[in-house]
Amino acid sequence: MPQMRVAVDIGGTFTDICILNEKSGDIRIHKIASTPDDPIRGCLAGLGEAGVDLKEVSLFSHGTTVATNALITRRLPRTAMIMTRGFRDVIEVRRGTKEDLWDTYKDVAPPYVRRRDRLTVSERIDFQGKVLTPLDENEAREVARVLRKRNVQAVAVCFINSYINGTHERRMKEILAEELPGVEISTSSEVLPEIFEHERFSTTVVNAILNPVAGRYADRLADDLKDRGYKSDLLLLHSGGGVVTGRTARQFAGRLAGSGIAAGAIASRYIATEAGYPNSIGLDMGGTSTDVSLAWEGNNRVTKDWFIQYGYPIRFPSIEVLTIGAGGGSLAYIDEAGGLRNGPQSAGADPGPACYGRGGTVPTNTDANLFLGRLGAGLVGGGLKLDRALAETAVRDGVAKPLKMDTAEAAKAIISVANANMAAAVRLISISRGYDPRDFALVAFGGAGPLHGVALARELSIPTLIVPLNPGITSAMGCLLVDIRHDLGFTYIAAADEVDPKTVESEFRKMEAEARERLEHEGVKPKNMVLTRSIDMMYRGQWRTLNVQVPAPFNSVKKAIEAFHANHDREYNFRRDDTPVDLFRLNLSAIGLSPKAEIAKQKPKRGTPKPVEKRAVVFDEKPKALQTPVYNRRDLFAGATIEGPAVIEQIDSTTLIPPGLVGKVDPWLNIIIEVSEAKR
Amino acid sequence: MSTKQAKALKGTAVKAVRKPAKASRAKVKSLDPVTFEVLKNSFISAVDQMAEQIIRTCYSFVIYNRDFSSALNDINGDSIAQGNQDISVHVGTLHYSCKAVINAFKGDINPGDVFIVNDPYAGGTHFNDVRVIRPIFVGKELIGYAQSNGHWADIGGSVPGSFDVQAKDMFKEGLRITPTRIWDKGRFCEDVARLIGASTRDPETVLGDMRAQAEATRVAEREILRLVKKYGKDTVVAGFNEVQNYVERATRQRLRALPNGSWETTDYVDQDPAGSEGLIPIKVKLTIDNDQVIYDFSGSHPTIGTLYNSAFGTTFSGVVAGMKTFFPDLPLNSGFYRPIKIIAPENSIVDARWPVAVTGFLMVFEKIMAMIFELWSNIMPERSIAAAYQLEYLLTGGTDLRFKDKPYFMYYDWLPGGWGGREGKDGCNSTCSPFGVGLMVQPIEGQERLSPILIVDNTLVTDSGGPGKWRGGVGINKTSRLLKAHGTVLSYICDRERSIAFGIKGGLPSNPHGLWLNRKGENQPNWLGAVFSDVPINDGDEYARVAGGGGGLGDPLERDPKLVADDVADDYVSVERARIDYGVVIKVIDADLCEYSIDWEATKAERARIRSERKKWLDEDAERVAARYRKGELTAFDLVRRFGVIVDWGTGDLLPKTTAEFRRMMKRRTAANWGGSAPSKQAAE
Repeated sequence: MPQMRVAVDIGGTFTDICILNEKSGDIRIHKIASTPDDPIRGCLAGLGEAGVDLKEVSLFSHGTTVATNALITRRLPRTAMIMTRGFRDVIEVRRGTKEDLWDTYKDVAPPYVRRRDRLTVSERIDFQGKVLTPLDENEAREVARVLRKRNVQAVAVCFINSYINGTHERRMKEILAEELPGVEISTSSEVLPEIFEHERFSTTVVNAILNPVAGRYADRLADDLKDRGYKSDLLLLHSGGGVVTGRTARQFAGRLAGSGIAAGAIASRYIATEAGYPNSIGLDMGGTSTDVSLAWEGNNRVTKDWFIQYGYPIRFPSIEVLTIGAGGGSLAYIDEAGGLRNGPQSAGADPGPACYGRGGTVPTNTDANLFLGRLGAGLVGGGLKLDRALAETAVRDGVAKPLKMDTAEAAKAIISVANANMAAAVRLISISRGYDPRDFALVAFGGAGPLHGVALARELSIPTLIVPLNPGITSAMGCLLVDIRHDLGFTYIAAADEVDPKTVESEFRKMEAEARERLEHEGVKPKNMVLTRSIDMMYRGQWRTLNVQVPAPFNSVKKAIEAFHANHDREYNFRRDDTPVDLFRLNLSAIGLSPKAEIAKQKPKRGTPKPVEKRAVVFDEKPKALQTPVYNRRDLFAGATIEGPAVIEQIDSTTLIPPGLVGKVDPWLNIIIEVSEAKR
Repeated sequence: MSTKQAKALKGTAVKAVRKPAKASRAKVKSLDPVTFEVLKNSFISAVDQMAEQIIRTCYSFVIYNRDFSSALNDINGDSIAQGNQDISVHVGTLHYSCKAVINAFKGDINPGDVFIVNDPYAGGTHFNDVRVIRPIFVGKELIGYAQSNGHWADIGGSVPGSFDVQAKDMFKEGLRITPTRIWDKGRFCEDVARLIGASTRDPETVLGDMRAQAEATRVAEREILRLVKKYGKDTVVAGFNEVQNYVERATRQRLRALPNGSWETTDYVDQDPAGSEGLIPIKVKLTIDNDQVIYDFSGSHPTIGTLYNSAFGTTFSGVVAGMKTFFPDLPLNSGFYRPIKIIAPENSIVDARWPVAVTGFLMVFEKIMAMIFELWSNIMPERSIAAAYQLEYLLTGGTDLRFKDKPYFMYYDWLPGGWGGREGKDGCNSTCSPFGVGLMVQPIEGQERLSPILIVDNTLVTDSGGPGKWRGGVGINKTSRLLKAHGTVLSYICDRERSIAFGIKGGLPSNPHGLWLNRKGENQPNWLGAVFSDVPINDGDEYARVAGGGGGLGDPLERDPKLVADDVADDYVSVERARIDYGVVIKVIDADLCEYSIDWEATKAERARIRSERKKWLDEDAERVAARYRKGELTAFDLVRRFGVIVDWGTGDLLPKTTAEFRRMMKRRTAANWGGSAPSKQAAE
């Protein structure tokens, strides 16, 4: 009986592998360089190095940036769009806006489908779903003929008002299927039956264009795994925080567009919830950027307002992740008006921070941390030697001299500015959404997160900091323990006080039938299906909706309205009880629970591990460096307590415990630091 | 009433209110660099959080589509921070509104108060842009203001949406709200709110927005008080000043690095409907004098008999917004304004006074931006950009007969269009206007639900990009059909039907704006032009309007023929106009496969022919050119680009004064920059 569970997270630089023994709960990790030209090669090589026997694997799940990268690099299969006559340019016109309002030389990326490959046919459906002009089948076949000649590999069918009546799109798809066998076809009414043409079309195009990419990829990987003895379905992580099987991936590949982004947020939520903190904020600080996410009562926040490239929304529900340009390699500099700045420009991997000795001269956060002794000279398990003298020169010349400070002061200043920028991002995702940071734990991970964690928690009045066991490989864990998940929904506009709960109930039931069918198709047993209903609602006259969970069966509109008022009050600080409320969209999330598995808990022992060395470290609290014990993370056992000042080093990260604080190792080997509210 | 109050009510010149502060370079900064940087970013973040909230809670679809802005102001009303996603036209006006409130209520501003103002004669934009201003107190001490500004869908006046093109003064335009208290020490002034709501067509919506805006200002207040708690009041207040000094320093630094000198140019509003035919000039002369920059509008036309006038606030805004695109990375606050000096003649089209109509100020505003683009293109050639299309507003209002309760409907629409060609890059196709790149295009599926209209076409217009070595972006056509309705009237607010978006450095203009009405059962569409109001229309009538392309940059005969062929494959340019505008002769190989080839020999010959004749075309007898247009031998593209002739696009009647001025403009801007007769090597091969 196979009993290993394997998760692989393929990122741009590293491929991380996480192996869980379902019986013992033991977890093992492995890291290998990614092979961007053919990611599967690196993945298989890593499995070999880690000694994974695929015959022993019960579940293989996978987070991948393949879809994201395909969109960004535009290495995409030739894809066509077919639109209603008169609407050829919807995805080029978009909403007309630009990400950078002021820089006239910074453009929005061009549409995923060039204008020449956007064709139209005669057909028209009105706002109520009534057919005004029937689909002209001769034109439809003529379009198919041209596309066959062009040898397109995927087609997106996008007709106006199809969200309310998809018959023309379905007929067009039938004709294309006859004329273009083997070509992937997505219709907008299937992919996203939601009002507003650009958002629906854009999502459909992304889906269509990725179907061949993800389909081919999933097929190849599944075959390779099968050849090596894996017997179950390959599971792929999607941006909504669940997995789908390869079969679904080929149909709804757009859902994979944010696969890699979601993994860290899921892992952070999982680790915190296990440790007893259902409310948590994830801070994943890497070399060039930091991802911030939020979980409330054990659930990640989900958004439908996201994109891979500005201007091309992907309206599939996705875990909300805010990315800012602050990482270990962010450059600190003095601008023309004498201000100290930090990021978003980054030293990247090459030349990297000044201390890498590859020619970088501008100081980075890494240089500041190294100079202050917070970071040791060996990085990545001693593979790379950091040069403290170079770091010092960079900090001194780049910041200390122009600001007339001493070098240590300057290094502290650099880090403080980085922390303030990250704190602003956390505030945007928490306070400005009505959440109070004091109700949360901060999970600091990524290579650089644990160095900055305490300072950020203090800055934000977050009482508890959690540093996971493997901060640098947390994302792979996010792929490990997720369930199959589908999100269904459609536009349903009605006045709440006029709506008949029976009609709404029957609409939910229809969606549930479809959801069960999809889950069954993926091999989920009925007892493992969890279906959750929600409604997007708004005050009449408002333009944005709020999501409100509703029970099954749906029998009280009044309760839903009350829940809406309460949510609105929490998010926006006001409610209007006398204003009528409208329903906008019905949603269903359908989860197929994976077999239960848990990471082993260690029995706590009392005691304090032995430091491996001592070194001088400068902390924010004290002007002078303190001789500080340095621990190896491997020596930390459950129940151990470490008093600050302390530095804890491990292969992929360094944790800093300032004087006066205590780190406690919990049964999952997380370090928990209670950060008191006391001011510095 | 005191004289002072009386003057305030009539509208005083706001430019006298503030004198540019002296540079404070000598002053030693009092904040440490970390605190300063943290505060600077926190102020911006506070403003962003206001924006984040307003977009989720607003009622006006205009605000929802991002016609709003937010600011933090200091105790003098000067801007500390403004949202980075704000609509351009509000930049440089929010501090004036705050100062207007301060002037009106000085000594009587209390915790729990909130004020409201929309006065264009006190530095505002137009009546629809309503600003809600909340003073921020630490204990009993006033330290600054949070401001949320949004475009209300209606503010009364004679027409729905409050854009009356017949208006010559403000009394037809809408409700003027001079600084008014709307919350009094925490008590909501129900009576005042009712009065304001009752003066509009949709009290429910506007009061919903007012509340949403007031709550948004509370978000900024909360953020500032958090900072005060952490850093102390004095530090935060010092931060308010220092972020402005910081931006001022950076701006002056960059100005000093540029050569001193003067550059001048002219752009035009199409006409004065109260006067005779002829373009209305707006003139500006830019002078860089060490670390300051002066914009002198002397010589600009007096105010005209329409709503296309700009009060000083928006003129200032046009200058600031135009200039900001050449310094895109500088944060926005009053520090950026300090090195700028503006001279605007009183009662001219760039300095309209009470009670001259100003609701269509954006026509002047966008001309100012186009001129500033052009002038700065000389100073920073690497950021050159030609003129963009003109933002336009279409209003269709009537009774919707699709539903039993026959609701009143208002189909209020605006289009994206082409932006100007750039150095090394074509202009952006169909993008929101310089008025506010953030002002989103509306979804058609939403419009068809809300109004009895059917959109029959919404397609980019082939050939609409102004030809140039770097082509202007293409514009778009939108054709609407009226469905079941009653008592429907159509109004249109636009410009650049005659003063067409221009090219620079040898580039050509784009195409005329305007609206064609095609009545049901009639064969010929009627040209209604770019500005008209209250035209009755009936079920089945169709109306099409084109938002223009952007102007070209550089000589179109120097455009790489391969780029032209690529444009042909995507239908941005037709085979025919590839030859006429670019002298590139294209052969169709297989249209199914979008395969086209360039006839290099023929191209060389065609380019040589055009090069030798084109200067003469600009002097060809205009009346004869117009006659050929009437006969259908020439198109509007030919008239504008080749002959510089402007006619009534419906009748084909020549507009002689307009044409004469347009030709002068073409010669100065375009023909003067065409290279000699020798073909450039790269271009012909």
